[in-house]
Amino acid sequence: MQLDITHLALEYENKDPQEILKLALDKFDRISISFSGAEDVILIDMASKIKADFNVFSIDTGRLHPETYQLLDQVREHYGIPLEIVFPESSEVETLVKEKGLFSFYRDGHQECCGIRKVRPLRRKLATLDAWITGQRKDQSPSTRATIPVVQIDAGFSTSNHKIIKFNPLANWSSAQVWQYIVVNKVPYNTLHTKGFISIGCEPCTRTVLPNQHEREARWWWEEAVDKECGFHKANLVRNESGVAR
Amino acid sequence: MKITVVKKMKADGTLCRKSANVIDDLNRLGLIDQIDEFVAAEEHEPTSQGIALALKHNVDAAPFFIVEEGDSTRVYTTYFLFLKEIFNQEVSEDDEIAEIMAQNPDLSFI
Repeated sequence: MQLDITHLALEYENKDPQEILKLALDKFDRISISFSGAEDVILIDMASKIKADFNVFSIDTGRLHPETYQLLDQVREHYGIPLEIVFPESSEVETLVKEKGLFSFYRDGHQECCGIRKVRPLRRKLATLDAWITGQRKDQSPSTRATIPVVQIDAGFSTSNHKIIKFNPLANWSSAQVWQYIVVNKVPYNTLHTKGFISIGCEPCTRTVLPNQHEREARWWWEEAVDKECGFHKANLVRNESGVAR
Repeated sequence: MKITVVKKMKADGTLCRKSANVIDDLNRLGLIDQIDEFVAAEEHEPTSQGIALALKHNVDAAPFFIVEEGDSTRVYTTYFLFLKEIFNQEVSEDDEIAEIMAQNPDLSFI
């Protein structure tokens, strides 16, 4: 299927999440919602009001909170969907744990563990799809998500032979809008949110934060900020675009 | 086929870490001579050719790789994919995953 993703991203930039979700579900058969067990649950609720049969997957890293596992089952029953749980390769987890123990991320950083428990299974799953839908929002991280479009080619997982499209229907919604939707539509949610968690991931790598702390401070708090040394400064790109370079 | 590598030059005149690593690796693999052109995206020079190419191809980090063949242009932002598809190099999954995560720090939050 040939879609002009840049054009679609512009056309849908200011549309409602439901319209973006409908576009995604209409255009692709091999498409699935990625459900992390957090606020992205509203994507499932929205999808259920668009069509009866849609696909959802979650990655079980093996280190999730009990509350998250409970929500996964609750969502499966509430919406009557065959929620697919994707697991990491057991041999890779066994090797990591055998060599480095169960908490190597506190010492070596989270990338290795996330790579094995989350990114590899995600890549394996995405290889079976043409598109996926995430709950990523701009307000979740001013440094890394401030410019995410509502639809994009997923450069990380695409190959020359297999383009994968990523839809981010909630990109322009705030946390407040998400929670208003949850309350108004009586959407099941992770009870960790009632205990002070605003960002939910694996249990050892997630903590509650204080008022006015950004939700990114709730994850991997022992590590330094993202290395941005190789990025192009936005001001440079804007100044170039304004004609300075031509 | 024309292959262009866009590297980032920091304000102090040195290469960014990933650009330096890629150039070292191309040297190690004996592939450096197959790169037709290296273009610098200079941190403090918004008019530099590399910045213009980044803008043209909608790329936000270095290094990246432009492969032109006839009328088609392919842009690779992932070094190991570029190695695999253009030079048929064997790439370990560990290396691929590490690079995907480095380029997409938000993946850990999925």
